[in-house]
Amino acid sequence: MKARLIALTVVFGLKTSVFGETIHTTVSGMVCAFCATGIEKTFRKQPEVQSVKVDLPTKQVTIKTKPGKTLSDAKVKEIVTYSGYTMGKIVRGK
Amino acid sequence: MKSILLILTTTFATALFSEAKPLSYVGSTMVMQENDETGHTLSLDYTFTPSEAFGIYIKQEENGKDIFMFTPEFNTLLKRWNLPDGQGNIFNMSGAGIATYRGNNQPSLWTAFLADYESRRWFLSYEPRFVWDGNIEKSAWQRARIGFAPYRANYNDLNTWIMFQVDHHPAKHDHFVATPLIRFFYKTYLFEIGYGSNQHIMVNWQIQF
Repeated sequence: MKARLIALTVVFGLKTSVFGETIHTTVSGMVCAFCATGIEKTFRKQPEVQSVKVDLPTKQVTIKTKPGKTLSDAKVKEIVTYSGYTMGKIVRGK
Repeated sequence: MKSILLILTTTFATALFSEAKPLSYVGSTMVMQENDETGHTLSLDYTFTPSEAFGIYIKQEENGKDIFMFTPEFNTLLKRWNLPDGQGNIFNMSGAGIATYRGNNQPSLWTAFLADYESRRWFLSYEPRFVWDGNIEKSAWQRARIGFAPYRANYNDLNTWIMFQVDHHPAKHDHFVATPLIRFFYKTYLFEIGYGSNQHIMVNWQIQF
């Protein structure tokens, strides 16, 4: 069991360091392109972020980080709040 | 200088406070212009916190007097409701500067409140505005707007809205002006055109960068 956990940790760490991380979050209040642009540009200013994709119908923002970089849940929430919106749940990976 | 500004405003036309939000994201600049039955307005604003923007406001009023206003302005988001399928806001916009009418320079003060609700399908707004131009003029007017999106556009699509606006000027013969209009926006570019019941063409635009 312990060996499996170590292996998973190593694999996950390697994956993040090579490919970066994908973070999905939903955003309440994001209803128009102006809102979405504000969120997108604020995320893009972060040095850890490689790309940002916004989907208005699902109110979902997908952030891809640079290889070896990540954004904590608290940081994602801070950015969404700073943009003037309310963050929903966060899902990592995929 | 005055005529150049007037030409600029006339050429590029309006969309200021009552229709578009007076704040953007932090670090962005908005240029907005509005040509409607109240006159020609041009403003340039920089958003420096999530709830505050500062800029300049220039207006050439067309209400029987050619009043020219130039004021710094301060826009504040007083309250925002982020809802699962919509967003509601209350803003205050205020300015203090000068107003000119036939060589008579007077202090100019104005303030307005904007309440709006927007979803991907519906738009509602209401704005009362109060203007004091020294001994030139004191005025108040209110504006309401309702809008409907015929389709729910995504982020990279052209957004289209069918809207209806009503202006009420209690101090000017208590008259009402109804303006059906169409709004287009794509990402950070907004354009509106309408035709008022007073036979004025309304043209508004806004760019954020």
